[in-house]
Amino acid sequence: MNTGPAAGPEPAGGTAPTGGSAPAVGAVPVDDRPPPAGPAANLIAAAVVVVLGVTAITGSLAFGAGSPSQPGPGTWPLIIGVVLVVLGLALATQARQPGQAERFTRGSLLVVAAVSSMVAYVACIATIGFEIPTFLLAFVWLKFLGKESWRLSILTSLGIVVAFYALFVGALDVTIPHLF
Amino acid sequence: MTKTLPSLGLITVLALTGCGGNLDSDDSGTAAAAYPERAVTLLIGQDAGGSTDLIGRALADPASTDLKQPITVQNRPGANGAVAAKELAAAKPDGYTIMVFVGSLAYITPLAVPADQAVDINNYEVVTGISQDDFVLIAHPQTGFTTVKDIVDAKRPIKFATTGVGTGSQLTQTLLFNQAGVDATAVPFNGGAPALTAVLGGQVDVAAVQLGEAKQQIEAGKATPIVTFATQRPTYMPDTPTATEAGYNVPVQQSRAIVAPKGTPKEVIDRLRTAFGKSFADQDYQTFNAERLLTANEVDGAALLQQWNGSLSTYKDLVAQHKIDLSGK
Amino acid sequence: MSEVIDGFAVVLEPTNLLYCLVGVVIGMLIGVLPGLGPAATIAILLPLTFGLEPVTAIIMLAGIFYGAQYGGTITSVLLRLPGEASSVVTVFDGHALARQGRAGTALGIAAIGSFVGGTLAIVALTFVAPLVAEFALDFGPPEYTALALLGILLVSTISSGGRLRALTAAAIGLLLATVGRDDFTSAERFTLGNLSLADGLDFVPIAMGLFGLGEILYNLEERHRTVHAPATVANVWPSRTDLKQSGGAIGRGSVLGFFLGILPGGGAVLASLAAYALEKRRSKHPERFGNGAIEGVAAPETANNAAATSSFIPLLSLGIPANATMAVIFGALLIQGVTPGPQLITENPELFWGVVNSMYLGNILLLIMSIPLVGLFVRILRIRATVLAPITVLITLVGAYTVNNSVFDIGLVIAFGVLGYLMKKAGFDPGPMVLAFVLGSLLETSLRRSLLLFDGDPTGFVTRPISGVLLAVLIAVILLPAAQLLRRRTQAAPPATAAASLTGATQEPGPAPAAEAEAAATTPATTTTADRTIRREEPHP
Repeated sequence: MNTGPAAGPEPAGGTAPTGGSAPAVGAVPVDDRPPPAGPAANLIAAAVVVVLGVTAITGSLAFGAGSPSQPGPGTWPLIIGVVLVVLGLALATQARQPGQAERFTRGSLLVVAAVSSMVAYVACIATIGFEIPTFLLAFVWLKFLGKESWRLSILTSLGIVVAFYALFVGALDVTIPHLF
Repeated sequence: MTKTLPSLGLITVLALTGCGGNLDSDDSGTAAAAYPERAVTLLIGQDAGGSTDLIGRALADPASTDLKQPITVQNRPGANGAVAAKELAAAKPDGYTIMVFVGSLAYITPLAVPADQAVDINNYEVVTGISQDDFVLIAHPQTGFTTVKDIVDAKRPIKFATTGVGTGSQLTQTLLFNQAGVDATAVPFNGGAPALTAVLGGQVDVAAVQLGEAKQQIEAGKATPIVTFATQRPTYMPDTPTATEAGYNVPVQQSRAIVAPKGTPKEVIDRLRTAFGKSFADQDYQTFNAERLLTANEVDGAALLQQWNGSLSTYKDLVAQHKIDLSGK
Repeated sequence: MSEVIDGFAVVLEPTNLLYCLVGVVIGMLIGVLPGLGPAATIAILLPLTFGLEPVTAIIMLAGIFYGAQYGGTITSVLLRLPGEASSVVTVFDGHALARQGRAGTALGIAAIGSFVGGTLAIVALTFVAPLVAEFALDFGPPEYTALALLGILLVSTISSGGRLRALTAAAIGLLLATVGRDDFTSAERFTLGNLSLADGLDFVPIAMGLFGLGEILYNLEERHRTVHAPATVANVWPSRTDLKQSGGAIGRGSVLGFFLGILPGGGAVLASLAAYALEKRRSKHPERFGNGAIEGVAAPETANNAAATSSFIPLLSLGIPANATMAVIFGALLIQGVTPGPQLITENPELFWGVVNSMYLGNILLLIMSIPLVGLFVRILRIRATVLAPITVLITLVGAYTVNNSVFDIGLVIAFGVLGYLMKKAGFDPGPMVLAFVLGSLLETSLRRSLLLFDGDPTGFVTRPISGVLLAVLIAVILLPAAQLLRRRTQAAPPATAAASLTGATQEPGPAPAAEAEAAATTPATTTTADRTIRREEPHP
């Protein structure tokens, strides 16, 4: 199915002709994708699936599994749980096959930062309204994650807040918590 | 775009000091006589466009003219209104947050959900009752049922559609068929429209839905009304007997009320009641009621609490008496 | 027939024309914004309609609805953010085209397909509305079960990732659909006591998180610096070849969309999914799907617009709203003093035909508006990713709030964003998860209702005519590719497909108990050979 992760262009047989029209334009992107993860990562993914399945099974038994002709609330989740366990085990047997998964890289830290910013956003929004968190989130993303200039970051962030205010609070009358 | 940073900063600071919106809560010392000084939020625990939502919006307009402040409708759907009720309970009791409360949340849902999730209307202040919405039992014409007696005489198991677990639709039919000794299986759907569709399509034999939803179908001859579940015949359905008249004890109606958090000052409640009184008197609102086949129930808080508490205990008794478990387990 | 003509006269009155335009513009804007849907918007705008004539009011509200279908495509293609369930399928090929610098083509073909689909649906509606409405009533829980089952099987065939992973994602999607209070017994399933989860998870936060945020987080790590310079040159509008290629897809999509849209509660998602799967099946080069096949955009877009149009039929012909937006329009009609019911067409013909005919107009207006707008929207892609990302993130977060006016939903979006990122890292495609989520609850509830109707006897599925037919189709869908596969393996096959089926066959392990696995394993011909094409960005030669 796949010819190995870090390999270059795909074998001609596998690439699909896009059929007809204008050739795709634009710069050829630099393929700086992270290296593929080893079997360990695949195993972890498979394990997660199995755990999920087991949770589903235990949960469903708690609600009452019923019977095939008289299904209870737990019947369907039970079936899904079993399917998940099976699929997880199947995934585990495939763990050695080369990389569907990718390794985490230093870039992953950026993701952690990004997620933290979003969590902080949602934590504050109910108490201080959306304007300030929006400004701050935009600013952090622009300046630190995006490495844009101070001026651009601040101006764009302000612009976003103003635009959101005009759109959501002004035009659409959405009831998001707001300060002003 | 030659603004410099410092001036931007100054503008921002100035802007920040100009607060005064929703989040900036009260200046609590003010006398209630000055109420309302700003917009009032009307919570609705159902989706936009549904019956409760439309009722709330229909009331909001004339009332806000009387209050000289806008009444902002905010939908907070979830768990038949329990999510909105929870938010209401946590709100400041200053009259700036109120809610349209559906009766079923107070007197039917508690029969179907665990005790810790049941909402108790006595934990709130009731401003005024709004209206009642009646349920009608309809049958697919092909079944040939026109009265409850027909159903009983048919001596076959029947299937009935409900609008969900813990709804008036479920309660009415379960009680009725239990008392009539009919072997009936409930097929729950998610709301009035799907239940109605099921009856119209002949998927089930009967269903209980709200009058407003069924009227057109009845008039078009696509559905046969059997009984309504009000204590007296609603003016909109003068020719259909009530369940009581047919000999069964199933007095169930949907009801709605305006509710405020506990501890809201009496003056504020009275002011609100006056404002909504104007809504009730409004011609457009009355036409709205007639169109939706709603019966006015514009009683004051105490009377409403009596009604709803009475309903809850009645249903509790009925359900216990007939050994019914609405939660379906 | 004279009433139909009179209906046009009604539409062409200046006020109605104006409000039609207003409606479709608002609808398009709403569709672009993820989160806020047409139902909520219409509810917000209801007070505006109080002063209007009934016909005018409904013309505007209807315009909002199908305008939103157009708008939803835009974010799907450009930002990989499906705003509505019916736009999810468009994401697969639409966004791939955008990455190849052909966003204009994608948006253009979507506009054309939507126009054709909508118009054909209106024509059909004009002539057969009452008939099909009655037919739709015959669809009960058993039929919906069969349809949902078909849908879930289709889901597993359309994903471009590995088959096993697609199934896993789908299974997780099915599990997510069970969260919430059980419709039948009020038992709380997986809600952890949280009231906000009592009604279950909403599609929008899940889709926005998995697709939108997940993609952004992933790209953050990848730091793809390439600017997808569309260079505008050849790409503002689909070429003649594109149009020719999509013609069949559009035609078939219209028919599928029209019929599936009539079903109350079913409709647009199933339509877009079925249309896409059909095209992929029919194609001689199914590997193209997921990598920028033009039919992969044309088919679902046509189908969902046709379905949106035909979803008016239950409302206008029977007085039953088919979905949330129709329910709000129902309410709007009541406020206007018009009670929708089976007699609407005879009692208020000018309203009925006025609304129906306004749809022709609305669709034309949308198509005309798309022409300059597509060029404009494509420019959005030229914004640097570092600037576009925070804007998209914030629109997503705020948009999540607007679904239920709940801050909890914002948290959900973030959680699913993280999940989407992790899934991508692990090689899972979120598409099947989302689609299975939507279909999953339909499947379970329909199945349980059916069993209640049949008193636990499953043979009822086969003895009912319609569900029997659908199940037969289902089996054919499963068996046909199995037969094809057998035939291919016993004959000499062209290198490409042989490679595909061989690698596909060795990829999956033996038969798994689940029906889905079984069905999916028999259709390896549709497995793409390159799993990583979901992430590849190089243009195809």
